[in-house]
Amino acid sequence: MPAPFYKFGLFGEEMSLIVAFLIGIAFGFILERAGFGNARVLAAQFYFKELRVLKVMFTAIITAMVGLTLLSAAGFVDLSLVYLTSTYIWPQIIGGILLGIGFVIGGYCPGTSCVSAATGRIDGIVYLGGIIVGLFAYGEIYPSIADFAHSTPLGKLTLPELLHIPYGFLVLAVVVMAIIAFVAAEWAEGRFGGRRPDLDSLLAPARRFAPSRKLAGALLGLGVIAALAGNPYRGVEGRIDTRTLALEAANPADQLAVRDLADRLVQGRNDLLIVDVRDADAYATYRIPGAINVPLASLTADFVPRNERILFYSDSELQAAQAWLLMRSLGYDHSYLLRGGLDAWKQEVLFPAPASENPTPEQTADFAARAAVAKFFGGTPRADAASGGDGMPQLLAPPPPTEVPVLATRKKKKKEGC
Amino acid sequence: MTETVIHRSNPGIDPHFHVWGWEVPIYLFLGGLVAGLMVIAGARLLLMRPNQRQAMVCCTIGPLAGLALLSLGMLALFLDLEHKLYVWRLYLTFEITSPMSWGSWILLAVYPALLANALVHLPETLPSVARRIPILTTISDFMLARPRIIILTGLANVLLGIGLGIYTGILLGALGARPLWNSAVLGPLFLFSGLSSAAAFLHGILVVSMPDDERPAFADFLISTVTGWTKARPLDTRLAPALAQADNSFLTIEFALIGLFFIGHLTSTAVHQQAIGLLLNGPYAAVFWVFVVGLGILLPLILQHFELLHRIRHTLAPALLVLGGGLALRFIIVAAGQASHWSSLASH
Repeated sequence: MPAPFYKFGLFGEEMSLIVAFLIGIAFGFILERAGFGNARVLAAQFYFKELRVLKVMFTAIITAMVGLTLLSAAGFVDLSLVYLTSTYIWPQIIGGILLGIGFVIGGYCPGTSCVSAATGRIDGIVYLGGIIVGLFAYGEIYPSIADFAHSTPLGKLTLPELLHIPYGFLVLAVVVMAIIAFVAAEWAEGRFGGRRPDLDSLLAPARRFAPSRKLAGALLGLGVIAALAGNPYRGVEGRIDTRTLALEAANPADQLAVRDLADRLVQGRNDLLIVDVRDADAYATYRIPGAINVPLASLTADFVPRNERILFYSDSELQAAQAWLLMRSLGYDHSYLLRGGLDAWKQEVLFPAPASENPTPEQTADFAARAAVAKFFGGTPRADAASGGDGMPQLLAPPPPTEVPVLATRKKKKKEGC
Repeated sequence: MTETVIHRSNPGIDPHFHVWGWEVPIYLFLGGLVAGLMVIAGARLLLMRPNQRQAMVCCTIGPLAGLALLSLGMLALFLDLEHKLYVWRLYLTFEITSPMSWGSWILLAVYPALLANALVHLPETLPSVARRIPILTTISDFMLARPRIIILTGLANVLLGIGLGIYTGILLGALGARPLWNSAVLGPLFLFSGLSSAAAFLHGILVVSMPDDERPAFADFLISTVTGWTKARPLDTRLAPALAQADNSFLTIEFALIGLFFIGHLTSTAVHQQAIGLLLNGPYAAVFWVFVVGLGILLPLILQHFELLHRIRHTLAPALLVLGGGLALRFIIVAAGQASHWSSLASH
């Protein structure tokens, strides 16, 4: 099973949140064992007295980086499916300064404040309460600062792209940087904190081949392998395996029924990017709420990140199926097709008809529910099954989406780092 | 003027029905918490030997807080009422088959019982208050001199507490139209959740009043302000392990009852299986397993287990987690219950 597991469908959305909880608990436990629940240990970084936080965090970073690069080179991980936050340079500088001020005043970063609160420290509990209040406040004032929060966008940036150096070379450079930082940290701890070096420290070990030196050597070795392994990102060039693609095309799991889509929209779920592949005129006349317009003729591979879930629809299934096949062959594994297209949407969702002349109680209840859903989308239920087809009333188009939904639907603030 | 369709075909009802907002879960949570405080206060009053003077936190602070919390809960319930001026009509009748009627009469009896329990040991807990209002001492002396009144007060608190706790669950369980709620297990589940919340609440009060070197200065300032204002005697913190132990028992029973709740639904009709699916793998699964089971039961169980083993100090963390878990349980059961329905076709 290749990773990321969620993107390859090992578990659903709800289970992914439970998995996140378990990983979070494990992460918190390790942070607590490393001593990060104590504000004094965190504050000691700024005085160079005890640099435990720097060492633990840098270890985590290079472990994850080397591990991901090598696993990706070996084909176990598809890095291009991992979500990257877009860079908005000025908003992020301001946010970073605010976070830093909070860090210095409170002695915690968001993650370590949870650890501290869980160990019962009252300052940690107060800090966590402050975070929750801050999240609510941010949500409340977000509409008035939304323009600023989306200003100066630089897209999804990575250091290798910015510096035009190979990925592997950067990995090796960071490993070297980390080992230098560890040595410098131990020197500073002796110089400013007055601490005598540990028995097996990197700086002055009692033995020539201390475990810390062995680990540093092993990391350097892995870094060199990573430097030679090439680019961990897979490109979007087509890798058409006809047989696999045919099997996928025959599998109805990649299709979504119109009534399921209607239920998702009623529930307010926005985990699907709905793409209308008809031309702009048809799109302007009527569209499924929230859909963006990418006409089939202008479909290119890079209109959306590869890790989005995309649902294609057209009037019937034909054009949408062509778009689906194209994107699938380009490796967009989370493309879906609206079964029956807009025709089915009109028949079943907007203008549902009763099932038969003499409905059973279940059918009556079902029709009542479908009629309510139809009204939700601005349609009207039909009186009987025969009156369909030519009696379609003129539809009012919902207002066009103001922003590209890929970015607009992701209002959540991602916390990174510790 | 807002016009709405009041029959079933209404986007507010189909495919989902959601008319209960924050008021009902808040009331159910506070009702359960007060029920737990009553049971603990009554049991403590009955089991305490006369030479023991550890009654303060369970028998005075608990009932006094209970009176305040129950009033808050009743306020939330009152805000939820559509016809607020007709509330007195509940007290013109007693319908033996109506949980609503049982509840309104139990609530009426809860106030004097809580008050009586609080008054028994009030003068020794809050001497400055008793000195200003001498009748409190008179009442306390009168009750302490008559063991039968003490036993009656204790029994009334335990029984009414159990009644109140079970009623908060049965209130939902009696509504057959919402299959998720349609389980008698909800009664004991809400009772034991309330008991664990109450034990955690009292444990939290004891922990905050413990002398503590690592406590920031402002927490000490707050505590000394409150104690100086009431001239209270320091609480006996020897009770903290007993409360943590009781809390762990309640949490374990609550966990088992959640299991029974699931088994009951999973072995019932397709409608009930679909309803419990909301918590098992549906849209409420993540919040339920993370906030109710993970953070609200398992994590405090582990933390209090280590506290009892003297591996870590007694802290406020388990109390806050248990209280948060109890609140989350009510919110999730109320919200998911309103999303469960008999017309299973609406979701296909």
